[in-house]
Amino acid sequence: MNGLFEIYLGLRSKKGYSNSMADSNKWQVINADDFHVPAAPTVTKVQQQWKSLLRLLGIHESEPEEEDDNDHQSTVKKEFDRRPAVKALNNHLNEWSKKKESTVCFLLDPPFSSTDDIACDWAKQKKWKILTPPDNTKIRNLDIDGWWKEQKNKNNWLINDLTRYLIRTSYGLSFIRELLPRILFGEFGKGLVVCDSWMFAFIQRIWPLKFSKVYCFAAAGPELLKQVGIHAGNKSLQKLAARVHGNVGIALTVRSIEQNEDRKLPELPGESNDITSFILYSVLMHRHLSSSQLQEILTMLPAEELNLQLFQLKQYGILNYNEDQWGINVEAYLAVRDFLNNRAFLLDIF
Amino acid sequence: MNSEQIAGILKPITTDIVIEIIIVIAIVIGLSWLAERILPWLAGKLYSGRRLLILAFIPTIRILLFIMAVMRIIPLIIEPTLQNMIAIFSAAGVAVGFALKDYVSSILAGIVAAYELPYRPGDWIEVNGVYGEVKHIGTRVVTIVTPDDTTVYIPHLKIWTDLIHNANSHTPDLLCVANFYLDPDHDPEQICRILKNVALTSPYINLAQPVIVLLEDKPWGTHYRIKAYPMDPRQQFQFISDLTARGKLSLRKKSVKFAHLSIYPAFQENN
Repeated sequence: MNGLFEIYLGLRSKKGYSNSMADSNKWQVINADDFHVPAAPTVTKVQQQWKSLLRLLGIHESEPEEEDDNDHQSTVKKEFDRRPAVKALNNHLNEWSKKKESTVCFLLDPPFSSTDDIACDWAKQKKWKILTPPDNTKIRNLDIDGWWKEQKNKNNWLINDLTRYLIRTSYGLSFIRELLPRILFGEFGKGLVVCDSWMFAFIQRIWPLKFSKVYCFAAAGPELLKQVGIHAGNKSLQKLAARVHGNVGIALTVRSIEQNEDRKLPELPGESNDITSFILYSVLMHRHLSSSQLQEILTMLPAEELNLQLFQLKQYGILNYNEDQWGINVEAYLAVRDFLNNRAFLLDIF
Repeated sequence: MNSEQIAGILKPITTDIVIEIIIVIAIVIGLSWLAERILPWLAGKLYSGRRLLILAFIPTIRILLFIMAVMRIIPLIIEPTLQNMIAIFSAAGVAVGFALKDYVSSILAGIVAAYELPYRPGDWIEVNGVYGEVKHIGTRVVTIVTPDDTTVYIPHLKIWTDLIHNANSHTPDLLCVANFYLDPDHDPEQICRILKNVALTSPYINLAQPVIVLLEDKPWGTHYRIKAYPMDPRQQFQFISDLTARGKLSLRKKSVKFAHLSIYPAFQENN
């Protein structure tokens, strides 16, 4: 009897310990439809609207930054401890991952949120295969079977970046149009697909049906921001969370810049026009694009005009260029999002 | 109406009244000028629905300023009794009937247009075969600028009798159509798929609006049309050009033949 009682106590204390661990972890995975941007205080809303108006009118202290090799470090997003996030993801997907059915879940990845890295950590923990994306030739030739054969996989799998599976050209959509039905019908078994939120908004536009089993991390509030290492009062953290739309990666960057008097968030050049918006939208949707891919997507632009715009955006700290790949700077993301919103582009839900 | 009756209607015009009238007119002209400079400048910085909303304020502000000026000036000049107003309107009616009929008709049509809204600044309209963007709604005419950068002045009285075609009806949604004429020997499903992808991958496209590809068989081949919306009505021509150019490129890559219309079919038959 005493032995049974001791076992009962042990089980109870373990459960209590798990509860306190769960309570201290503020990461949460939710259905994408339930995502809400943190509410901003009225003063913050007014400030944001005012800043947006100044951007529209081209009135801001925007000067091109001097090129400096040390600035490369500033374009890299700030890291944080992903283990609690991996645990939250595991809690949400654990039951589904154990079932034998060949279903697919989608996990939305807002820019710079590190959701893809979190999913990779989780997949490694679960010993799921991380699939390699197809090359351009396979995309052009719609060689899905050839791509799957190369994976040599019979287990559960993870696609950690669906943007690598399509390019927004008239031929580049065909691969994803053929691939998605086969994935959804379970032809390749059980898998988790991580997709950039902007690309997902575009895919939903070209796909005739609404996807089910679409998840994302809940917006970060003051408690989660404290958990990842941002220390400030609750009111200040609430303002920050609203400003960055609950994105942890952006919050860390914005916070580090605000604490540095010598630095400020970059703004777009005053003469930004339609071409600027096309470039930014394309780069944002694909995460990274080479110059040749950009030219393929924006065929109506002369190469010299495209290069001029890219150079100017790099000078202003909006874009970065590493290993022949153009990408949006994490510090410039909020300005870019606001710019595209004012021009009626299709935005993500975050 | 003799001079004594006229003198009875009008108030004594003093220097102070003249100065006040000049000041009121100057203020109204100044405010109107400011509204016609600042609001279009602001609208030029905006896109889509916000731009059209700002542009819509311009004629409304001008009409309000005009009404306020009239309400301020008339009592300074005329003794506003019932008898005087009847006399004034009778005289005005005769003048309008004989000499200023069309002019006044245009002005009244402009006031009606401000409320019926057949067009607003930012709308793309076609009147009597002339197509362009409404830039300015004046007292008597509406000014439109055609795609060839020609300014056309259309009297408001056209709305009484002519058809006004409004392509976007005060919204940022303007349907554009790109046409393709293909040889009849092809796979129509493949063509529809290609053309839909062409539309969805255009940088100008408004992804929130539907994209439709239609086809119609003709004696010489098949006529395809992509119907889609650009993000801003001002981009319509670049949008159609982009769809046409990339559509042709994509179709050529699939070895699709374009329709070739013979100009002299009888000559070719004989030879």
